Amino acid sequence: MRVYYEVARRAFQRELVYRTRNLAGLFTNACFGYLRAVPLLAAFQGRPEIAGYDLDEALTWNWVVQALIMVIALWGWWDVEATVRSGDVVSDLARPISFLGYWLARDYGRALYYILFRCLPILLVGQLLFGLRWPQRAETWLLLALSLILAVAISFAFRFMLNLSAFWTTDARGLGSLALIACTFFSGFLIPISFFPSGLRAVTALLPFAGMIQTPADVFLERLNGAALAGALLLQAFWALALLGAAQGLIALATRRVVVQGG
Amino acid sequence: MSPGESWRLYWLLVGASTRAQMQYKTSFVLATVGTFAANIVEFGAVLVLYGRIPDLAGWTFGEVAMLWGMSAVSFAIADMVATGFDLLPDTIRLGTFDRVLIRPLGAFFQTLATTLTLRRVGRIAQGVVVFAIGQSQLHLVWTPDRLAMLALALLSGAAIFFAIFVLGAAYAFWTVEGRELMNTFTYGGTTMASYPLDIFQDWLRRLVTFVLPLAFVNYYPALYILDRPDPLGLPPATGWLAPVAAAAVCAAAGFAWSAGVRRYQSTGS
Repeated sequence: MRVYYEVARRAFQRELVYRTRNLAGLFTNACFGYLRAVPLLAAFQGRPEIAGYDLDEALTWNWVVQALIMVIALWGWWDVEATVRSGDVVSDLARPISFLGYWLARDYGRALYYILFRCLPILLVGQLLFGLRWPQRAETWLLLALSLILAVAISFAFRFMLNLSAFWTTDARGLGSLALIACTFFSGFLIPISFFPSGLRAVTALLPFAGMIQTPADVFLERLNGAALAGALLLQAFWALALLGAAQGLIALATRRVVVQGG
Repeated sequence: MSPGESWRLYWLLVGASTRAQMQYKTSFVLATVGTFAANIVEFGAVLVLYGRIPDLAGWTFGEVAMLWGMSAVSFAIADMVATGFDLLPDTIRLGTFDRVLIRPLGAFFQTLATTLTLRRVGRIAQGVVVFAIGQSQLHLVWTPDRLAMLALALLSGAAIFFAIFVLGAAYAFWTVEGRELMNTFTYGGTTMASYPLDIFQDWLRRLVTFVLPLAFVNYYPALYILDRPDPLGLPPATGWLAPVAAAAVCAAAGFAWSAGVRRYQSTGS
């Protein structure tokens, strides 16, 4: 276990180096948080609620999803694909630790950095500009931590499999970007899933994406209670395990294709 | 160099880059489809929102689709042509801009002729589709003056976005970094222009009317085409000023670019 902890710690420290880049990203997220909040304000003009959201909840949803972009690397993450391309993947596969575990640990290190240095600052910006609806109950923070751990696992496994497709195609990034586009919509990033018409909601319920963004946002907003809350977290856990399992299976298939060039 | 010669040289250089883009056909198709899909999905969110509400601050779905489509087409044209400026921060950081300066051609021309990013056609297509969806709801009569306003707005809009790309590139001469900041203004600009301007706060509305004239990309022209009064109180003919606004911001961008090139000192390493 120790080795995974060290891997995560290094990944966290690696991100610490890029301070200016993070500041620039913060500025971008803050601007888009504002630009996306304004149409919501307009939509709620003269309407106390839309699809079960009041204005405060909708604005809070807006800033929470903006704050989660980098935590779950919504715009893509191709670190594994790069090693497949360069061939470095061979030495990673040869390590005496789990290949999946190694990358999962790295991703948790990366995600923790973004929770502290991107997610929290963005929520503060949202608070300053519009005022957010913060969790009212102390235990919500614990549930949120759990939900985020699962959200990162789901998102990681999904991204990891897209990366591994580089073993079969040279267009992994192109194909992967298409999959990520589906993710921005079905995760509840562009608009809350409760706003969807019922048919679309039914499709969304069968997909893993809501567990990446909508569920943590719902936990933050305390929109779920009792059985519904337990159900949502269990569904997240199911998808995390299912996708991580599938990713492990894909590694087994991919390693059969590894051809090491001598030289 | 005569205009005819520059034109011929532009197509020669851009043609080489185009052939390079076409070497990997699958990648090209995927990237084009991806650009289309990414933007259409964003519009999907607007569609979902309108499934819940009849209007956004008095604007119907068809009207917003029209604004959205106009902004997308103008932006995509600019983005397609201005890729060289978009990539300039990297060129400066790597020191390769030195090479541009020693060639017997203007730096602006060379940067412009770097590449024509064909996959942006996906975004143009997205804008056209959204615009068409809007038209199916609006039942506008396309009189000659409205058509003229539309054409003028699309061209001026492309010029305004192009100027923003050049301004962003010029900014990189001072900061070296700054790609991300530039994206905030370009992508942020098109996002903002995708919605009716009157939903934004006054200071921002004035800023994009009088300083960085995003309001002329589509908002004022659309007010004219849709026969809507301006909540800021400007006359309906304001839309016809779109080329003036575009010329002004292009001149500013040209000035900033020359100042930047003059200031350029290679990166030491």
